[in-house]
Amino acid sequence: MGLLKRELSGIIFYHRNMMQAERLYDEVDALRWQLSDLGELNRENIRLRGLLSFKQRSPLRLVAARVIARSFEAWSSSVVIDKGKKSKINAGMAVIDLQGLVGRVIEATDNSSRVMLINDPSQGISSIVQRSRQDGLVNGTLGANLIMRYLPEDAQIVKGDLVITSELSQIYPKGLLIGEVINIGSDFSGLNRFAQIKPAAQLTSIEEVFVIIP
Amino acid sequence: MKKWLLLLIIAVLAFLQLIWPVFLSFFNCKPDLLLILIVALVFYFDFKTAIVFAIIAGLTKDAFLPQVFALNTILFSIWGYLIYLLSRQISIEVVYVRSAIVLIAALLTNIITGLQIINSGLIIPLGIFLRSLIISSIYTAALSPLVFKLVKKLAA
Repeated sequence: MGLLKRELSGIIFYHRNMMQAERLYDEVDALRWQLSDLGELNRENIRLRGLLSFKQRSPLRLVAARVIARSFEAWSSSVVIDKGKKSKINAGMAVIDLQGLVGRVIEATDNSSRVMLINDPSQGISSIVQRSRQDGLVNGTLGANLIMRYLPEDAQIVKGDLVITSELSQIYPKGLLIGEVINIGSDFSGLNRFAQIKPAAQLTSIEEVFVIIP
Repeated sequence: MKKWLLLLIIAVLAFLQLIWPVFLSFFNCKPDLLLILIVALVFYFDFKTAIVFAIIAGLTKDAFLPQVFALNTILFSIWGYLIYLLSRQISIEVVYVRSAIVLIAALLTNIITGLQIINSGLIIPLGIFLRSLIISSIYTAALSPLVFKLVKKLAA
């Protein structure tokens, strides 16, 4: 009897149910968008909270900035951030994120700055291996990894070593994490060795950074 | 009036190239939208207009690059002139032939840019050099029909 009643009301109220279903579908679509927005906001919230906590803990003077544009072509690696001279940012300042070194400011306008990332080939960072204090020069390659050059044949370096900025660097403060050694090889001459470094910072997907104010 | 709209298109394409989403960048390579534009200008506008806007597009691109030397301004003007000469010699009406010309221009631009970087003493591994060269050029050529359509509408 209940089943018959339900089927009959389904037929009688067919139009009303159809309209209601359409309205509910629209509502589901809207809620799905809202959910996606909220998810994005939540992720942003977690990132910003991490940045805030890092800024509070860090002994360095930091200015937080957001990435607003990326490299114009594949032959250079840079980003544009939304802070400039008005926030006391000038060319030559080091840029980091929560994971490690990102690059340096190469140009600053009032409200924006261009940051050359550490994987740009024109970057040369004086660096040392944290464990053995072995020094070398880290260069960008435009690829996902960096190269640490001018390592002597008997260099104290192994896979998994962390590489940090050295005190010889004129631009970067000492001790900033650059990345981790993932491979070691010899160059063509056989006189020097090189190490492949995986950058600590996610250079292809950075969204927020800190500029170090000296 | 239409010619002034080209300035807007240059600005829009430059902006698009700057904010090109990461998920649309294959191996960190993105298309050279301004290069497509200058090739399209030769096909749909007169020579003088094409060269003037090629110089503006080149200057715009150079303004956003870290290199000091205005390489793209020179290259874009040269490509504009050479494609104009080519269009007087052979019939370039079919879209895929036009895309092939964009591919050649993109390959040459990328080779010269890459060699200029290497010439300045910087080291780029061969694999990354070839990757940037080939993927960027093919990506540029693949997107060229869209920019051609836009410029054709403007010229009509």
